[in-house]
Amino acid sequence: MTTYITRRILLIFPTLFGITLLTFLLIRLAPGNAALLKGGMGENGGRAMTAEVRDQMIKLYGLDKPWYVAYGDWVGRSLRLDLGNSIVDHRPVVEKIGERLPLTITLAGSALLLSYFIAIPLGVVAAIRRGKFEDRTISFVVFVLYSIPSFAAALLLILVVAGGDYLNLLPMYGASSVNAPDMGPFAWGWDRFVHLILPVVCLTYGSLASISRYSRVSMLEALGQDYVRTARAKGLPRRLVVFRHALRNALIPIITIFALELPVLIGGAIIIEEIFTLPGMGQLMFQSLDTKDEPVIMGITLIAAVVTLLSYLTADILYVVVDPRITFE
Amino acid sequence: MNTPDESHEIYHEAYVARIWRHFCRDKFARNGLHVIIGLFILAALAPFLANSHALIRVADRHVTFPVLASMQDIEWRFLFYVPLGMLVYFFRRRFFAKTGLHVLLLMGVVILIEIDLKIAHPINDPTNDRDRPALFKLMPPIPWSPIESTPDQFSPPSLKHLCGTDSTGRDIAARMLHGARTSLSIGFVAQSITLLIGVTLGGLAGYYRGWIDIGVCRFIEIMDCFPPLLLILVAISLFDSQNNMFYIMAVIGLTSWTGLARLVRGEFLRLGAQPFPQAARALGASDFRIIVNHLLPNALGPILVSATFGVASAILIESSLSFLGFGMQAPTPSWGDILSDARRYIDFAWWLGLFPGLAILTTIMAYNFVGEGLRDAVDPRLKVK
Repeated sequence: MTTYITRRILLIFPTLFGITLLTFLLIRLAPGNAALLKGGMGENGGRAMTAEVRDQMIKLYGLDKPWYVAYGDWVGRSLRLDLGNSIVDHRPVVEKIGERLPLTITLAGSALLLSYFIAIPLGVVAAIRRGKFEDRTISFVVFVLYSIPSFAAALLLILVVAGGDYLNLLPMYGASSVNAPDMGPFAWGWDRFVHLILPVVCLTYGSLASISRYSRVSMLEALGQDYVRTARAKGLPRRLVVFRHALRNALIPIITIFALELPVLIGGAIIIEEIFTLPGMGQLMFQSLDTKDEPVIMGITLIAAVVTLLSYLTADILYVVVDPRITFE
Repeated sequence: MNTPDESHEIYHEAYVARIWRHFCRDKFARNGLHVIIGLFILAALAPFLANSHALIRVADRHVTFPVLASMQDIEWRFLFYVPLGMLVYFFRRRFFAKTGLHVLLLMGVVILIEIDLKIAHPINDPTNDRDRPALFKLMPPIPWSPIESTPDQFSPPSLKHLCGTDSTGRDIAARMLHGARTSLSIGFVAQSITLLIGVTLGGLAGYYRGWIDIGVCRFIEIMDCFPPLLLILVAISLFDSQNNMFYIMAVIGLTSWTGLARLVRGEFLRLGAQPFPQAARALGASDFRIIVNHLLPNALGPILVSATFGVASAILIESSLSFLGFGMQAPTPSWGDILSDARRYIDFAWWLGLFPGLAILTTIMAYNFVGEGLRDAVDPRLKVK
């Protein structure tokens, strides 16, 4: 097991190398660069700066080096855990990401938990009542929800429960109220919770469909197994058979698909953060794309890739941990 | 209809014909397909249904067709889908006889129809035939063009403007119709690109195995580690060609082929181990022939299922991009763009959100129903009932 995990962890590095190289090439191939943008584009009007200043800036940020040299520098620095400074405000990238990562993780994490809590019972009910009214209703409703783009749902929810036109239950945007810094820890926590309700709901229902579908299929498979038939045949109550024999085994594949859902949720969080103007990674990404802030874009890509790869790895390990029939190799 | 014994029939029926028969039995899937076909026809006819120019105008002893004269390149191109769809439908027997190659060719044709490297600049033509005097004129049912600003801003739905107008007085009904073209072609073309890349890479990896397989799998893993929207956003926002529809299609297609490639690779690995490709090779068939004529048709079912869901997700991605301001830019009509307007004026202009929202919902649902139906038809064991 240790050798397997070691090998997997070692394999992460070439993948990370590929991802960052691809992103770096994209940034470098794109026309324009951060220094030009920062200087107001020079030529026609605006806050034009002289050619010397611009050249100095390009040199300072290493934008004049060929891409392979610049990428090599970046890799070298990253290996020493230094992601550089933002071109726009000269703050360390690690710091900029660090203050935004918790919010995105909270968002994606709670959406993941919530969708599991709702989707598994739905899937189990649909499987038990296969082909009946409950199954068809659940499948249909989940299906319709899945077809609504998250931003359209967000608009609708804002309009109905947050705008003040119909109901004014929840805040419309932001991650906390204006006076949040003066609040006590409990009030602050409650305030944050209230602000995150709508974003989490919007983020949740997309993955609801896939998880409930998975759990339905997995439950159906478990219910069709010989040991379930045996349990039924020896006269165990139905409840016991469903929950103790079938559900426990059905949960194995469901638990591991969280790894597939997490990247999807992080991607979805980008949109949700933009709609609700939450100061998370998504917003930082948009800002840095606008200013072509190379170090920050690279940093975000790296962090996102590491999170994704680690969740894949965790899923693979969990798979073996929860199911003793499977061994590494 | 008098059908022969079911179990007997299956052996004589082509794979595709059997899928089609199963598919047609599913009410939802059938209706989904009808909705999609209807949407394509509406989108193709959009210039004739919503235009500020008259269809026929008789004045100064001349009969003119102002709509035809004002039609843009991209609107002409979209019309090609109508004969293309009819060709596929009427020659479906012959078309599906050599499924593998023909489907790939069809995707190539679709990409050729839409390929356009110029940046679109919708021309706001100030002339309109509504107020121009003429002896006789036949206006389209919606006499507004999608990019035409009128003085009545934010007018709610009425007989004059069926779905209301937006912040610059553009008619939403016209924008919706023309926006259908954007959404449908983006879904279709992005998925064609996905299909071509996914089938090629996945097929090569699954057929040749060895180092090609290792290389392709590594590449897939790298592409898979980007959270879905991240790479698309980076690619689109860094290159300043946001208003080129083909560019957006290409980026969506180029970033979403991994799932399909995995699928094709798996299918090819499975099929390659069976005796029929070996038999073909023994008869002297080339690798290309085995891949295209023997393996691909047998893997086509799952590929088409995945492609159908892929179209739905491409449309979703495009509308998210437009909504975020990274997709097609105003005044080019797009459903996502209308929705992003809706976000700004949500307190009073409910019609800006309702109609495009419903349109996206309907389209995505239709594609998803077709996908579900196809999946059940391809693999009847998974069927819900």
